[in-house]
Amino acid sequence: MARGAPDPASAPRKPGGASSAPRKPGGASSAPRSTGTAAKAPVAFSWRAPGTWIEGIETLWRRSLRFRTLVVTVALTMGAILVAGVWMALAIQNDLFQSRLDQVQGDSRRASAAAQSILDASATDGDRVAAQNLMTAVRSEIVQQIPGARFSVSRIEQAPAPNAPLDITSGLDEQLVSEGMRERVVHSSADALWWQSVALPAATGSTVPGIIVGQQLNFPDVGPYELYLAFDLADADTTLLFVQRTLWLAGGALVLLVTAIAWFVLRSVTTPIAEAADTSARLAAGDLEVRLPVRGEDELATLGRSFNAMADSIQKQIKELADLSLVQQRFVSDVSHELRTPLTTIRLAADMINDQRDGFDPATARAAELMHAQVQRFEVLLVDLLEISRYDAGSVQLELEPTSLTHLAEDVIESMQQLAQQHGTDVRLVAPGGYSPVEMDARRIRRIVRNLIGNAIEHGEGRPIVITVDSDQRAVALGVRDFGLGMSAADAERVFDRFWRADPSRKRTIGGTGLGLSIALGDARLHGGTLAVWSEPGRGTHFVLTLPRVPGSELESSPIRLDPHEEGEALLDELGATQPIDIAEAAALLARDARDTQDARKGEPS
Amino acid sequence: MTSRILVVDDDTALAEMIGIVLRTEGFEPSFCADGAVAVDAFRAESPDLVLLDLMLPGIDGIEVCGRIRSESGVPIIMLTARSDTADVVRGLESGADDYIVKPFNPKELVARIRTRLRPATDAAGAVLRIGDLVVDVAAHEVRRGTTSIALTPLEFELLVALASKPQQVFSREMLLEQVWGYHYKADTRLVNVHVQRLRAKVELDPDNPKIVTTVRGVGYRAGAVT
Repeated sequence: MARGAPDPASAPRKPGGASSAPRKPGGASSAPRSTGTAAKAPVAFSWRAPGTWIEGIETLWRRSLRFRTLVVTVALTMGAILVAGVWMALAIQNDLFQSRLDQVQGDSRRASAAAQSILDASATDGDRVAAQNLMTAVRSEIVQQIPGARFSVSRIEQAPAPNAPLDITSGLDEQLVSEGMRERVVHSSADALWWQSVALPAATGSTVPGIIVGQQLNFPDVGPYELYLAFDLADADTTLLFVQRTLWLAGGALVLLVTAIAWFVLRSVTTPIAEAADTSARLAAGDLEVRLPVRGEDELATLGRSFNAMADSIQKQIKELADLSLVQQRFVSDVSHELRTPLTTIRLAADMINDQRDGFDPATARAAELMHAQVQRFEVLLVDLLEISRYDAGSVQLELEPTSLTHLAEDVIESMQQLAQQHGTDVRLVAPGGYSPVEMDARRIRRIVRNLIGNAIEHGEGRPIVITVDSDQRAVALGVRDFGLGMSAADAERVFDRFWRADPSRKRTIGGTGLGLSIALGDARLHGGTLAVWSEPGRGTHFVLTLPRVPGSELESSPIRLDPHEEGEALLDELGATQPIDIAEAAALLARDARDTQDARKGEPS
Repeated sequence: MTSRILVVDDDTALAEMIGIVLRTEGFEPSFCADGAVAVDAFRAESPDLVLLDLMLPGIDGIEVCGRIRSESGVPIIMLTARSDTADVVRGLESGADDYIVKPFNPKELVARIRTRLRPATDAAGAVLRIGDLVVDVAAHEVRRGTTSIALTPLEFELLVALASKPQQVFSREMLLEQVWGYHYKADTRLVNVHVQRLRAKVELDPDNPKIVTTVRGVGYRAGAVT
């Protein structure tokens, strides 16, 4: 505490009469009122702690409603208690000081009045000894009035006067009295009283806050003397310290109490909220059976009831959808059976009739032929439609077995050799990788490959078709490249649409249903893989099927680059579009190409 | 000698059409439209082969298949409208040798029937050893020591195929071609299911097969002779 520190700047004040009104806090700044505590703001957290600790707090702040509310509550409570505490401390301090000041002023007046009355009653007649005795009397009178008083009496006039009694001083160093105060005491009227806050030296060597009161004493025949009385405020200071300590302790206790109360109150509110959050998370995760417990009729109960109603409704709708999906699957299955049995009969009959068409007249023979062909088309369409509806019903199960994509591609190419020859197309396989078996549904993958190659043969304009198989650490891929007419980007976007055809006027040479690529895409996705297309008018088309090595793992890129870069094109020229090729040389070239591709692929979307 | 074929199908039009096709090809068909009486019809007719629709009134085709298989090793070919995993596998597991998905064409049907009816392997006369088993091809018999093990013709053929080339690893596709007569890619589940059925009969511990061993990622091979 720095109360009553010497303050040369603070001008002495003249109280408005003996009983001055108590000063309001925040009024004129007097030295004793400048307390050190007010300047100290409470520090809630030490931010010098390690970063992890700060991070923990930040996470809590973000994530925990209870923690955040608690911190806000405690901080606001602390602020409020601090303001109240400071205000109370200042008020008490001010009051204590004022009452002491009043007392001091009263004492001073009494002492000086007693001393003055002694002086007035006496006459020295210019006798120095008498004057000196008079001074001694004054001294003892002051001591009598204020036991243990610290005071000094000194002559104002500096001119030497033979009969003037010597200045006396008792425990008060006149140096403590500021020049300003002396000036006022010297130049004011005899009964005026001035005071000033000072730091008084204490016995221990330190200082204590104190008040010096200055007045004039008029010595008969000699003239005015200054009388300074010093009063220490040690008692008041002790009282103030005690009061303040009590105040801060009570404030601290109050903060703790509020914290505890807030914690309990918050817990009663946030626990059900956390429960609701947890329950809705479980509901969102698919556990449709979870419900919130409903207690009482308050807002939380309303929340619980609404939540439960919502969960009921969701559960009901999901069940309906699931039922619907089951109905759909059953329907598909029934349609499958119901349609296939008569179709089988028709097919058998049509085939038989077709086999004997040589014995018919030309028109009937042609009719038999048409029927035969269209029954086959109908059958393929039915199979494709059923496959599609199985995807839609989500009822497709993969038959995974370790399969070498390269060997699979070889098989498919071999089985399609006849079709390729009919179109005068050379189908070539280049497989730098993809030999090691990967878990896949071979039947479906074979169907995809057959479909892609069939498409390539149909649209390849008789130019060679290059099938690439390659692998990296995470995926195996197969690319089917034709050098036919190609498609515009807008068309390429729609190739996977059902029943979509790039050019409806084009003659269908291979009886596709228009569902092939949709099914291929569905199959690729079932494997967690991708089927992508690149096409450019005049440059041909490139389909790339990419399958993850581990089913279900994320695919980031494909081992085969989708868009053929310039080098790739040059490479294919190098391979020779129509000439017989040396397999070993081609493999080496493509291995090099694959490496280049690996490098080039970085940072490019798959 | 004409082979008798029992056609179990509730769709009379289809059954009749199949009958026409079979007669054209020189088979002798008989018919049964109800699952409940199919087994009785089987006993009465004692056919050389059964064409069995999976969906039947009365008792369903899978059940009928199981009952016929429990008393005879006669070849059974399922007719199914569904190629869905569960149905086909259940049919094969209940003992069907092969299956044809509707709609099929006459040639396919006849080819499947002929494969199943063809006389036993050309390796006739030989006695093969596989694991601790003796396979007498001519007598169509498999023995462990003195105990004879009853196998269906298909299972026998499968075992003979493996035993006749003990050094070779057979891929599922090779077995499909050799045993089932598929010259194109077919359903490898046929092989898987029948290898399981064969193991159940010939292995001492089917979970730890010694006669028909799996070569992971490739196929199967005969176990070493012991």
